[in-house]
Amino acid sequence: MVVVLVGAIIVIAAQILDQKLHYTSTDVVPGPIVPGTQYPDEAFTGIDVPQPIDFSHKIHAGDNEINCMFCHTYARRSKVSGIPPLSKCMGCHTVIATEKPEIQKLTAMWEKGESPQWNKVHDLPDFVHFTHQRHLKRFLFDNQELDVSDAKRVCSMCHGDIAEMTVAKKSRPLTMGFCIRCHEANEGPSDCTKCHK
Amino acid sequence: MSSLFGNILKGWTDYTKGIEEGGHHEYEHMWGMVIDLDKCTGCNACSVACYAENNIATVGEEKYVARQSMQWLRVERYFDEPDIDPGAIDDENAMQERGASFLPMMCQQCNAATCEPVCPVAATYHTPDGLNAQIYNRCIGSRYCANNCPYRLRVFNFYSYTDENGAWPEPMKQQLNPDISVREKGVMEKCTFCIQRINAAKDKAKMENRQVTEGEVKTACQQTCPTQAIMFGDLLNPESKVTQAWVRQQIKLGKYKQDRENPTLRGYRIFEELNTDPSVLYLERVREE
Repeated sequence: MVVVLVGAIIVIAAQILDQKLHYTSTDVVPGPIVPGTQYPDEAFTGIDVPQPIDFSHKIHAGDNEINCMFCHTYARRSKVSGIPPLSKCMGCHTVIATEKPEIQKLTAMWEKGESPQWNKVHDLPDFVHFTHQRHLKRFLFDNQELDVSDAKRVCSMCHGDIAEMTVAKKSRPLTMGFCIRCHEANEGPSDCTKCHK
Repeated sequence: MSSLFGNILKGWTDYTKGIEEGGHHEYEHMWGMVIDLDKCTGCNACSVACYAENNIATVGEEKYVARQSMQWLRVERYFDEPDIDPGAIDDENAMQERGASFLPMMCQQCNAATCEPVCPVAATYHTPDGLNAQIYNRCIGSRYCANNCPYRLRVFNFYSYTDENGAWPEPMKQQLNPDISVREKGVMEKCTFCIQRINAAKDKAKMENRQVTEGEVKTACQQTCPTQAIMFGDLLNPESKVTQAWVRQQIKLGKYKQDRENPTLRGYRIFEELNTDPSVLYLERVREE
C-alpha cells in the first residue's frame, strides 16, 4: 500500500516537474500580423550598422509599399534573401529622386562601375543552416489567409518592422531560443541537424 | 497528466515492438549503405571525395603518424597471405602474390550506437533519419564517444587548422563547402552520410510537396566511386536498391546474429555481434582458391 502511494506521488511529481521543464512561453503571441501563426515577440536593440548609402527602407517598403521580394528576389528561391544589384536601383533612380544627395552618390558609383559595399545587419553564425525559401513557403505562400503582397508581415516576424526603419537595424534577437520558441509554437522541425550543420 | 501516461504507454509499445520485430524504430527515413568489396579496387577516391565535401583538414605526415589524422572514411588494407617468401624478404619488389583486400570504413551509423549514451553534453544523438549525428558547436571535446566506438571512426581535432598555416592557406579557403561548418580544435567529428546533401534533398522535396525519391541523395563517396561499389538509400523504402540488397543478403536489422538460410551469401555487417546494429552492409570479397 505504502509502496503504491509513494510510487503514485513520484509519478505525479515527475509529471509536474516535466511540465515545469517544458518552456511555456508568455512572449509567444498569436500573430495578428501573420494570421494562423504564433511567434515570439521579443525585442532586441541592435547596434547601428553604418552603410555606404543611407538607404531608407521606410521610403521604399513603407511609404511606397514596394514588396520586399521585389528587391530581395532570392528570398523565395534560396537560402539567402540577396542584396539587389545596382542595376535594379538604377532601374528607377535614373528618373526618380535624382536630385537627392544619396541618389547622386549612387549614380556616381553606377557611372564608375562600382557596387556599394553594404554591411551585413542580420548575420547568423556559420554553423547555422537557415533557409528563407522554406520559411516563406510555410508562412506566406502556403498561408491561405495572407496575400503575397503582404510579404512584409512575414518578414517582420524575424526582421522587425523594417518598413518603419531608415537604415536597417537588428530588432529581434535571432538567438537559438528565439528560433526554438517559434518552431515550438508553429510545429516546425525540432531536430538538431535541421538547423545545425 | 494524460501526456505522462501516454508517454509510458508509448514507451512500452515501442519496447515490446523492439523485442518482437528486431530493430523497430519510428524513423522518417533510415539511411543505409551497401558496399560491395568485390568491386572495391582500393583507389581511395572515396576518401579524397570525403575530404573535399566535408571540409576535413589535411594534417600532414607527422601528425598522421601520431594518429591525429582526420579521415572520416579510411580504406583499410588486409593481406590474405601475410607472409612473403622468407628468402625474398630483402627484395624490394617482393610482394604477396594476390595483393591486398580493401575495406572502406566510414561511420556505420549504428542504430544502437555506443557513442551516444556516453556523451556528457548530448552533442551526439540519433536523428529521426536514423543517423548518428554530431552537433559540433555543442561538443566540448571529452572524447568519450571516440573511446567507446568499437570501429574507431570518430576523429578529434587536436589542433586548429583554420589559421594561415593550417590546412587551408589563403586562396584554398575558397574551396571550403559552405553547407557544412569548419570545425575548430577541441571538437569531435565524424562521417554524417553527407547530411548536408540529405537536408538539401529533403528541403527540395518539401518545396515540391513530395517525398524524397530513391537515388535523389548521393553521398560524396558514392558519387566518386569509379566502380560504383557504394550504394546509398533509404532502408524504409521497400523499392530502394539498398533495401533490396539487404533482403537479398537476408540481413535483418536489430539482430546481433543473423540466421540465414543460405550460408554462401556474401553480406555481413562489421562487429554485428557487439549488438551495435550498424546500417552499413558489406558484401564480402570472393576470391578463387
